[in-house]
Amino acid sequence: MKDDNVLWQVRHFVYAHFAETTRPPSVDETAAHFGISIEEASELYQELNNRHAFFLEPGTMAIRMANPFSGIPTDFKVHVNGKTYFANCAWDMLGIPATLHCDAVIDAVFTESNETIRLEIKNGELAQSPTLAPHASAGVTNHQLLVHFPLPFARWYDDLVFT
Amino acid sequence: MLLFQSEEWVDKWCKRNNLERGEVLTINQVWELSKLWYGNRMSLEYHGRSFEQVAEIFRQAGLTSKFWYV
Repeated sequence: MKDDNVLWQVRHFVYAHFAETTRPPSVDETAAHFGISIEEASELYQELNNRHAFFLEPGTMAIRMANPFSGIPTDFKVHVNGKTYFANCAWDMLGIPATLHCDAVIDAVFTESNETIRLEIKNGELAQSPTLAPHASAGVTNHQLLVHFPLPFARWYDDLVFT
Repeated sequence: MLLFQSEEWVDKWCKRNNLERGEVLTINQVWELSKLWYGNRMSLEYHGRSFEQVAEIFRQAGLTSKFWYV
């Protein structure tokens, strides 16, 4: 195992890559960036997964989540500076502008009702008038928008996809 | 964490999935939590956080019920 300095540089590279490209780097790309073997990069990926710095698709070296970023499409799209990111969940859709310290427009889908909504972060503030899809039956305010946390913090990492 | 249009939709989802209801926050509360939780995520110096640091973030966000115990 490389020393922790390299480990955290890899974590930072993964996040910077996500921010720049909206997708995670493959283990091959990370190996090439650091001038190390794919085996060494894989070992570092696994260690960062073990430390909950990011989360690999089980049995692979593909990064599924580097919270708040998602490596796969989701119902939570975050538009920032002409780029579109996918967030892992309703918390992470707000986590992306918080991470990038940028204005953002967020398109999300409500669970159960399946209606879509557009939220906006501007100058570090959440706009108080979200926009529902045109077919929606009634208006909505931020006070009505709810995020459900199904598990207490102590169990978040039991099954992160469910959480 | 999923987005809902009302308390009723949360209850419906929990019932349909045979799950206990967890904790429900408003979108404004989640934005405040996001800034505390993710504000330093792009830093090279971010190496994760201790339980004490997590507890402090929850405290600052006003999340003090047993659900948020670390």
